[in-house]
Amino acid sequence: MSVHPAEFALALHASGDLPLWQSVRVRLHASRCEACRNILAAYRADKVWTKAADQIPEGVNWDRLSAEMTANIRVGLAAGECVAPRGRKPLLGAVASWQWKPVAAVAALMMVVSGAWWLNVPAAQNDSLARALRAIAHRGATIASDPLGRQQGPMVEVTPAGIQLFENGGALGVNQGGLQPVGVSLDAQGSASARYIDTDTGQVTITSVYVQ
Amino acid sequence: MFSKVLGLALASTFALSAQPLNLKIDLSKDSPVTVLSADWGDSNAVARGGAYQVNVRASLSLRNSSQKRIRGVTLAVLAQEVTPGGKGSVSQPMDVAPNDSFSFRIDLALLRPLSAGQGVPAVEVRLDGVLFEDLSFYGPDKLHSQHNMTVWELEARRDRKYFKTLLETAGREGLQKDILASLARESDRRQPGVQMVRGKATNIETGHDIQFAFLDLPESPVEALEGTAHISANEARAPRFEVRNRSTKPLRSLEIGWVVKDEQGREFLAASLPAETNLAPGKTATVLEQDTALKFRESMSIGGMHGFVSNVEFADGTYWIPSRGTLDDPRLRSLVAPSPEEQRLEQIYRKKGLNALVEELKKF
Repeated sequence: MSVHPAEFALALHASGDLPLWQSVRVRLHASRCEACRNILAAYRADKVWTKAADQIPEGVNWDRLSAEMTANIRVGLAAGECVAPRGRKPLLGAVASWQWKPVAAVAALMMVVSGAWWLNVPAAQNDSLARALRAIAHRGATIASDPLGRQQGPMVEVTPAGIQLFENGGALGVNQGGLQPVGVSLDAQGSASARYIDTDTGQVTITSVYVQ
Repeated sequence: MFSKVLGLALASTFALSAQPLNLKIDLSKDSPVTVLSADWGDSNAVARGGAYQVNVRASLSLRNSSQKRIRGVTLAVLAQEVTPGGKGSVSQPMDVAPNDSFSFRIDLALLRPLSAGQGVPAVEVRLDGVLFEDLSFYGPDKLHSQHNMTVWELEARRDRKYFKTLLETAGREGLQKDILASLARESDRRQPGVQMVRGKATNIETGHDIQFAFLDLPESPVEALEGTAHISANEARAPRFEVRNRSTKPLRSLEIGWVVKDEQGREFLAASLPAETNLAPGKTATVLEQDTALKFRESMSIGGMHGFVSNVEFADGTYWIPSRGTLDDPRLRSLVAPSPEEQRLEQIYRKKGLNALVEELKKF
């Protein structure tokens, strides 16, 4: 007599799920082995019973059952988090293997955009954006006006650092090659001027911007 | 997937990156200044919301093609003439002999609406004016550069004469002492941030009118009689002055220095108020800037205001500026910035020393 097939092979054969060549071998063995025939008969009886039990019972509230199952699953997950060890999860381990490419792509995109922003957007613009974001966060307002709280509209400001134009919440610095002005002035008819001196040549340059 | 992300990244980069400019210099055929070369450096335009930030960075080499010495040049830089912030100017006081070349540096940022024309943003550089040694002037003068450059030139002559006289009377030590005192005053001079906005107030304002007090300069051809401005918290708007021509010549224009005092009594020059007025001798006129408002830091409240006449242009084309004696008034000295020429001479002293300053004064 050949060696008895494994019990899972008998179970799969009974349900018709065993590959063909293994199924032939099991059937051949069972025709000569009473013990295995009895096991197969038991599995087939179970199959009939399971099929009969597969009918949907009447009077079941499936919506409620679904909600309870979902709630139980969430409770189970929360409880699992409570008792889980506090060790740091590996960064990449948290990401399914199929997700790493989009994650890397988004990270690269953010780096490129950040670099472009840093290279192109002047500090004054960043200040305005920060003020606008703060205003949205704190007051739900749209755009903050400027450091002095002025209403929107074209305006010009002089400080010891030079001239700044404000329009629509944005600030635009006007400078002379990064030099610090030796004087600034406002003309009430609508212009601001800054005076610069070239430290090497002594050449005086007066730069003006007109808001009117 | 990666190609899409890369495309997005490049699009973001280009959206923020600078664009080249279409730059041109427009000088008329009879201009006393000609262009030898123009290096536009990294001039560019960057989209910022609904406008371009136009950065004009140019090194120009120009030649005095006239027969007279040039004492000042003003170039207008136009990104969009009618847009607030779309127009700028660069002025240089100088002393350039006929046929000599000189360098002229432009470095400023302007605004240009995105909707202002298609294609590459354009910037035009025009000659607004040239001031000659004899105080004659060439140019369209759309930016009132004739007045400004003439005042600078007169101040330069006044200050060079003052320092030369000082050198002759008080010697090198006296000159050095005065230059050091001037440098000390500059470092002490206050210039808090001041904002200016043009346009009529649209809301009903609270506040009150406050009277100006005037610094009387005995030698001034114009007397400021009285004046008010409307004060609301840390904002002053709509200044109004009444002036009288006490000279024997009719006036064409005048300029008033607007001094603001904070609650602690500290004063600073907040703005200048130029006004064109055809004022006959002995007559009075009202100078009004209804559409101008100055605003100061929120923590500052306005404790008072002063005014003084800083320069006058007569109808015959001559000017009055305060003398050095008038400017020696300690109060005025702490408010009025030194002339561009005085600052140039100070820079020579600081950079090259007393001998270089003495040599420079001997040139004139």
